[in-house]
Amino acid sequence: MNKEQTIAELKNIVKPYIANQEAFDTLTEDTDFINDLKINSANLVDVILDIEEKYDIIIDNEAMERMINVKAALEIIETKLSEKM
Amino acid sequence: MIGNDIVDLDLASKESNWKRKGFLKKIFTINEQKLIASTEFPDVMVWNLWSRKEAAYKIYNRETGIRGFFPSQLECVYQNAILGSVLIKGRCYFTQSTIKNNTIYTIAVANKEHFRRIKSINPSIEILKKNGIPFIIDSNSMLEKPISITHHGKYWKGIQLID
Ligand SMILES: CC(C)(COP(=O)(O)OP(=O)(O)OC[C@H]1O[C@@H](n2cnc3c(N)ncnc32)[C@H](O)[C@@H]1OP(=O)(O)O)[C@@H](O)C(=O)NCCC(=O)NCCS
Repeated sequence: MNKEQTIAELKNIVKPYIANQEAFDTLTEDTDFINDLKINSANLVDVILDIEEKYDIIIDNEAMERMINVKAALEIIETKLSEKM
Repeated sequence: MIGNDIVDLDLASKESNWKRKGFLKKIFTINEQKLIASTEFPDVMVWNLWSRKEAAYKIYNRETGIRGFFPSQLECVYQNAILGSVLIKGRCYFTQSTIKNNTIYTIAVANKEHFRRIKSINPSIEILKKNGIPFIIDSNSMLEKPISITHHGKYWKGIQLID
């Protein structure tokens, strides 16, 4: 998995839900979905469903619990993809 | 401790499609899904339960310092459209919800007696935050007072517990 590419894909996924354009433009691994991008928490479910659909993975409750920033999302995508192999 | 959460129903219907495949399952327990399936107004039930979870989460977050996304672990005990409680990891919080003018507003407390001691705060007061958790400085005592704030669309609510 190429991290740069996954970050770019993740940006596409979160784009419709963000309320802070500046934080989006300067997104890094440390960006928090709620505090920085101002994604409302109900839309966090949409982000999670969009990730599941895009990568054809299942994000269980345990993974979902951690899904509050870019870094966790990348780790979860990577782990779930490797489990599929 | 206290928590609150407001949902603007018009905005929620634009921002979120809860009928989307998989959506309800990620947020709600089996029992909650049954409640939603069996009511005449599922929209109202979805956002009523959701606002209870969010209000309760704010107390849990302040009490434990834990931040995370675990909506289905915050389990609503639904008494009626107004009253209920939310259970999470052995803790229990009490909720009071108001459905009015296309909004659903829930206040959660850790102790039932505290419902009587809730006071709205003036939006113009200076709000400070520690680790994202809001408080104010009481003008009489100069002590820090925990508050809870919520906003959605054009609505804003802030509460504190008075002595
Ligand atoms: C607390 C949280 C759930 C609120 O998100 P929201 O419903 O989208 O937004 P609301 O307007 O209702 O609440 C936001 C306000 O709550 C306040 N707040 C955050 N944590 C709080 C707490 N523990 N107690 C009281 N208030 C709190 C914040 O100051 C914020 O105000 P601000 O935007 O002016 O800074 C969200 O900020 C968060 O951290 N979520 C973590 C994961 C999650 O969504 N969990 C949901 C339940 S599993």
